[in-house]
Amino acid sequence: MKIWNWNYAFDILPEIISALWVTITATVVGFGLALILGLLWTILIRSDSKIVSSIAGGIVTFVRNTPILVQLFFIFYVFPEFGISLEPFVAGVLGLGLHYSTYLSEVFRSGIESVDPGQWEVATALNFTKRKTWTRIILPQAFPPVLPVIGNYFITMFKETPLLSAITLVEILQTAKNIGAGTFRYTEPFTIVGVLFLVLSYPASLLLRNLENKISEKY
Amino acid sequence: MTEPIVKYNKVTKYFDDLQVLDKIDFEIQQGEKVALIGPSGSGKTTFARLLMTLEEITDGTIEVEGEYLWHEKNEKGELSPASTEHLRKVRSNVGMVFQHFHLFPHMTVLENIIEAPITVKGKKKKEATKQGKEILDKVGLLDKADVYPAQLSGGQKQRVAIARALVMEPKVLIFDEPTSALDPELVGEVLEVIKDIADQGETSMLLITHEMDFAKEVADRIAFFDDGKIVEDGAPSEILYNPKSTRLKEFLERFMNTQTP
Amino acid sequence: MSFWEVITSILGQGLWITLLTTFLSAILALVIGFAGGLMRLSRNKFVRFIVGVYVEVFRGTSLLVQLFWIYYVLPMFGITLSAITAAVLAIGLNYGAYTSEVVRSGIQSVDEGQIEASIALNMTKIQRMRRVILPQAFILMLPNLGNQLIELFKSTSLVALITLTDLTYQADVLNATTLQTTQIYTALLIIYFVIAWPMTKGIQILERKLTEGRM
Repeated sequence: MKIWNWNYAFDILPEIISALWVTITATVVGFGLALILGLLWTILIRSDSKIVSSIAGGIVTFVRNTPILVQLFFIFYVFPEFGISLEPFVAGVLGLGLHYSTYLSEVFRSGIESVDPGQWEVATALNFTKRKTWTRIILPQAFPPVLPVIGNYFITMFKETPLLSAITLVEILQTAKNIGAGTFRYTEPFTIVGVLFLVLSYPASLLLRNLENKISEKY
Repeated sequence: MTEPIVKYNKVTKYFDDLQVLDKIDFEIQQGEKVALIGPSGSGKTTFARLLMTLEEITDGTIEVEGEYLWHEKNEKGELSPASTEHLRKVRSNVGMVFQHFHLFPHMTVLENIIEAPITVKGKKKKEATKQGKEILDKVGLLDKADVYPAQLSGGQKQRVAIARALVMEPKVLIFDEPTSALDPELVGEVLEVIKDIADQGETSMLLITHEMDFAKEVADRIAFFDDGKIVEDGAPSEILYNPKSTRLKEFLERFMNTQTP
Repeated sequence: MSFWEVITSILGQGLWITLLTTFLSAILALVIGFAGGLMRLSRNKFVRFIVGVYVEVFRGTSLLVQLFWIYYVLPMFGITLSAITAAVLAIGLNYGAYTSEVVRSGIQSVDEGQIEASIALNMTKIQRMRRVILPQAFILMLPNLGNQLIELFKSTSLVALITLTDLTYQADVLNATTLQTTQIYTALLIIYFVIAWPMTKGIQILERKLTEGRM
């Protein structure tokens, strides 16, 4: 038996690539959710109400300090006990989104805090409303510096999607595993999955480094 | 006269395409104190850093105590780039005090001073400590032996840095603008320590400075740098009161103006 | 089973393996990270390239894929590893890649003047690294290394997927036999939280102390 069989590799490649679609959709939808939830946590934590702020802070702390795999199990296996049965894809996206929202909320916070406090004073001196202060002065300055970090989390999340195979979602790793189970050859399917991740995430991270340099030049 | 302790021979230095030193010949005699003055960017700091091996020489040679610093002679008498061992051996004759002190922040004052005697010279800790304390006493900081650098004033830091360099007993000691980073009221204490070392006479000194009065007081000779060359080199009174070149005249005029507005 | 019994049952069977996996892979990651970080700063282009490839490969593919590859593919090459060896190897290599970047940037952020001062004192390259650069760089790295340890600890839950009997694996087994799903997975989340949270707090305190110390 050959260690690496090219014919076999090319045979199974289309099937794995077609599963890539699931992986990418899960990443994009999950990340959208993470952005929205992350922003929500940031706003709630900055709330004047102590109760709201500490509840949001508590959720973020709890989610950050537990493994995403267990969170996925919880969503997929425990929610149905309360009558909420979710498709693997929905449960997966929810888990990814929730988990990464807590990281992104931290990124947003650091972005906001890195804006010079003098900017708030200027906004007050120019009689900006609170809303205008946020949308016109603070956020436009807070976002660009943290953009590369946000991008990095996108790539990290992309690489975390194979975890969704643990809740029966047939993304690329699960597809590879199924192929392997049928043929008893794991070398080609698992290697192809690894190469696919590398081929997609490495250029993305190069692009990001480029962006980072451009941003740091500008600021 | 005995052999010079330091001898620059046609020393040239480029940073990429930019020439900062242009075929400089220069000597420092045993025990001689030489001040380097000149506008910033004139090459005087690079000139000194080459001697400390902090910059690589582009062309020419430097000899310290009759031995090549950047080169080694092979059997045929040809020069080839120095090995690390050779570089370290010759470098041990040279010490340096930096503008920004560069004390080791994770070590106490005494640890800063005894670090190199122990790790580099292989001295016993007990002996190094005894010697370190003597030197600390000399610079008037014995009471700060167990304090970390962060708790010292700038002037105190620089005195520790001087002690740290002195304890290695270099034949030549470089001072790179030792008071430029200090608040004006702290300059005096550092200059006093440097003057004490100068008065003891044995150590040769290369002093880059903007303190003209101090240069006159301490130095046996002053060299004026401009545009990568030594334009004038002579006794302090000659250089400061009887400048020959227009560049030096201009420099001194501008300098006096900015010093006493 | 009461909730308390669920917790003690999971803990009793899985805690040791989770902690052991965490400990061993953290050591491996640290060793690889320091060696890799130093090699990345080597003058030798080839050494830098090799480490660069290692870092990009392990950061660019997914930990779970690496875990599966080591556990399921290596036997095809005649290398059959026990589940715990495969787990420690995969997590150690994966986090080692990230750690090497932490080490590299930690070393690079030590003030250039420190290197010049140690050259002026005629230290060798090794003395310089050991006595001057690394002690300072290590302090700078500590918060990052701490955060990585927490991430590493959480990621050990993945080893359940290659049948290593850690906390998560034991919870799955318990779930299959008792069907007390809600209690079991709630208990599991709480167990991980109770271990990870004090570490997070500790690192926050450490970070605050370090920034204060530098002021």
